[in-house]
Amino acid sequence: MALPTTVVEELRRIVGRESVIDSANDLRIFERDASIEGALPDAVVLPATTEQVADVIRVAAKHRIPVVPRGAGTGLSGGAVTIRGGIALQVTRMRRILALDPVAQTALVEPGVVNLELSLVAAAHGLFYAPDPASQKACSIGGNAANNSGGPHCLYYGVTTNHVLGMEVVFADGSVQWVSGDSPERVGLDLCGVVVGSEGTMGVITKIKVRLLRTPPSVATLLAAFPNVETASQAVSAVIAAGIVPAALEMMDRVTVGAVEAHYHAGYPTDAGAVLLAEVDGISESTRELMAAVREVLAANQGYAMREAQSQAERDLLWQGRKGAIGALGRIKPNYYLHDGVVPRSRLPQVLSAVGEIGEHYKLPVANVFHAGDGNLHPNIMFDIREPGIMHQVEGAGEEMLRAVVELGGALSGEHGIGLEKSAFMPWIFSPDDLEAMQRVKNVFDPEGILNPGKIFPDPSRKQVQLAGRMGLAIEAKWW
Amino acid sequence: MVVNTPVIEKPRTAEELAGLLRQAAESGSAVVPVGGGKSSRMGGMPLRSDVELHTTRLNRVLEHSQADMVVSVEAGITLEALQEELGKAGQFLPLDPFNSPGHTIGGLLATGWTGPLRQRFGSARDYLIGIRVAQTDGHLASAGGRVVKNVSGYDLMKLHYGAMGSLGVIVAASFRVFPRPLADVTLETASGSMAEAWTAAEQALSMPLAPTALELFSDGHLVVRICGSPDAVKRMVAELAWQEADASVWAEHSRTGPESWARISVPRHGLQDILASLPDKAQWWASPGIGIANWSFENPDDVVRVRHAVEKAHGSLVLMSAPADVSKRIGAWGTPPETIGVMRRLKNAFDPNGILNPGRFVV
Repeated sequence: MALPTTVVEELRRIVGRESVIDSANDLRIFERDASIEGALPDAVVLPATTEQVADVIRVAAKHRIPVVPRGAGTGLSGGAVTIRGGIALQVTRMRRILALDPVAQTALVEPGVVNLELSLVAAAHGLFYAPDPASQKACSIGGNAANNSGGPHCLYYGVTTNHVLGMEVVFADGSVQWVSGDSPERVGLDLCGVVVGSEGTMGVITKIKVRLLRTPPSVATLLAAFPNVETASQAVSAVIAAGIVPAALEMMDRVTVGAVEAHYHAGYPTDAGAVLLAEVDGISESTRELMAAVREVLAANQGYAMREAQSQAERDLLWQGRKGAIGALGRIKPNYYLHDGVVPRSRLPQVLSAVGEIGEHYKLPVANVFHAGDGNLHPNIMFDIREPGIMHQVEGAGEEMLRAVVELGGALSGEHGIGLEKSAFMPWIFSPDDLEAMQRVKNVFDPEGILNPGKIFPDPSRKQVQLAGRMGLAIEAKWW
Repeated sequence: MVVNTPVIEKPRTAEELAGLLRQAAESGSAVVPVGGGKSSRMGGMPLRSDVELHTTRLNRVLEHSQADMVVSVEAGITLEALQEELGKAGQFLPLDPFNSPGHTIGGLLATGWTGPLRQRFGSARDYLIGIRVAQTDGHLASAGGRVVKNVSGYDLMKLHYGAMGSLGVIVAASFRVFPRPLADVTLETASGSMAEAWTAAEQALSMPLAPTALELFSDGHLVVRICGSPDAVKRMVAELAWQEADASVWAEHSRTGPESWARISVPRHGLQDILASLPDKAQWWASPGIGIANWSFENPDDVVRVRHAVEKAHGSLVLMSAPADVSKRIGAWGTPPETIGVMRRLKNAFDPNGILNPGRFVV
């Protein structure tokens, strides 16, 4: 439903004529994020400043138009999809690193700053920004904060919420306020901690102060092969149980390794049932000692063909394979549905065998590439959307996998967020009282419900997955 | 001021506690939640106290999954009892609050107290992964879970952490725990002047293997804890060249809990100037790597003056323990944050009758 012309004009007066998109064709570009669902926004607004964001929110509040904050659109749970239409508030024009203080080890950034860009700039001062989602070449820090994003190195360093010191937030009434700041203690309630990870449902993040860490002088990266995912999972638990918390501990199954190797030639052993990528960092003594200990534990747990990166180039290649794995899987099937359940680490063998069985039952290829050290699995269901009725199968398999995760004491999402995709499953892990408490918080921040409506909380009126219009159109017209 | 004698309740289950809370809300009775009573002099003195709700009988370890390094406990368990349980598996919770022993987990979460280990591990805010809270409507609401990485639903752990029991009473919590370090060495040094001491502190903090804890005392004494793999620790010990000290200094340090005591928190590079502005011979101890100092103050007027400077430096000064008349006169918390309006609305959403700890917190 198009916005009234008068509203569009109001928005244009705020951000400039070029920065409001409302033509049907252009809007299609913004109907999706990296999940499988989509819905057209009525308008896309690209503010350049906090003041413009606040003015847009005030207009939206006045007319009760939904607003969905959107960064790079790389989110995997439908959090940036305008499921109830309204305004997609695209913050990617706000992409300046406003300050970088090498002494205090902090950076002040706008929400559209790309994750990797911050680490590259900080590298000049011997610093880095720890949360490193696989999409870090594209994803924005604002999106990371909204989703409390993780990444491989969060095993040791913690997720986004552990690195955000404070934020400037535009609230639903258009007021602009700072939550928390540089000081280690705050006075009053921790609004910053509550807004981080709230998926754009409490406010629009317009500035973020983050903590930077010193780049460790020494890093060691090891690749190890295992007969299967179960033995690799046991090895992961054994490493942690030995008192070692590596910087990263990642697993890839045989399907993933095959695709990655064909694409990147990273030297992954394609005959292995699973591979682990383990990284330790610190000073040279610690990496040497810890890596020796890791090797010992892995060998005692059926690890073989262990290979340590001998140079930075080799390390980069090993990581390129891991971080580019989802893309490489496109060799197998054109579409994917990536899940994000998280289980107590010791339950990995059970959950992975359940995932395998579910894939077989639905006759869908499944690849596993995930943060094993955290117990955060990413079963990736691969399919070809042109096959009639396939979505029904894909959804069914995904739902069953999440069920298995929950039955093993896990949670719905480790780092991607609930968004649209998993909102219906929230009652699996939360009681009506739990959800009601969360809803109370939502109502305090956004009493009119204009901020990213239809997300996180179960919506009984929504039944079916809504396929992206653009994709649906292409399939129907047999363009693809 | 509290004039009446409160009824003491010691519920045995979370459900019973929630029921008592609902009854109190219905009758408009003011409730003061109590854990170990170790931080009872923090914050404003309660305006009213009709019911003291003690959590001490909720003291069970609900589940300790050694392989997952996750523990769930009831809120009334003491930190020491929890550490003993974790210690059996070579694990620990990296929390070492002052005025120990005797803190309960619920009390520590509600007050947000930390200690020297925050240097390496952050605060409980960083490793609290799940929470269960009794609300004034008598319901028990949970958030988070028992997994170490979780973005399912709102992070209500952050809402209740440090909220001084103003929104609900924490009845259970889950934590990510940590393995005991492979090597753990404590060193100390004394400095001739405060300037020298700060230089030594910065030297320790800039070591390539960052210290796990570093404390500076007002007499120029410094204590550092270096943890990691054995050879790495050995190298740092050699590089720093301080004197080896007994690890028991940490337990002794955590017993510090003066009568009148304020916590100063500023961006860490502003701490030295603030501490230099304290009265001559002021007694304090600080974590220079974090930006926190604890000042055993004598004259409340000094506190007012220092608080002014601290707030100007974007920090806060909070009374951790003070006589009632002092906290009443100078205020326990200082200038309220600009987001106080949102905080009041949150308070109203969870405690519409204002029965939880009235007068104690900023909301």
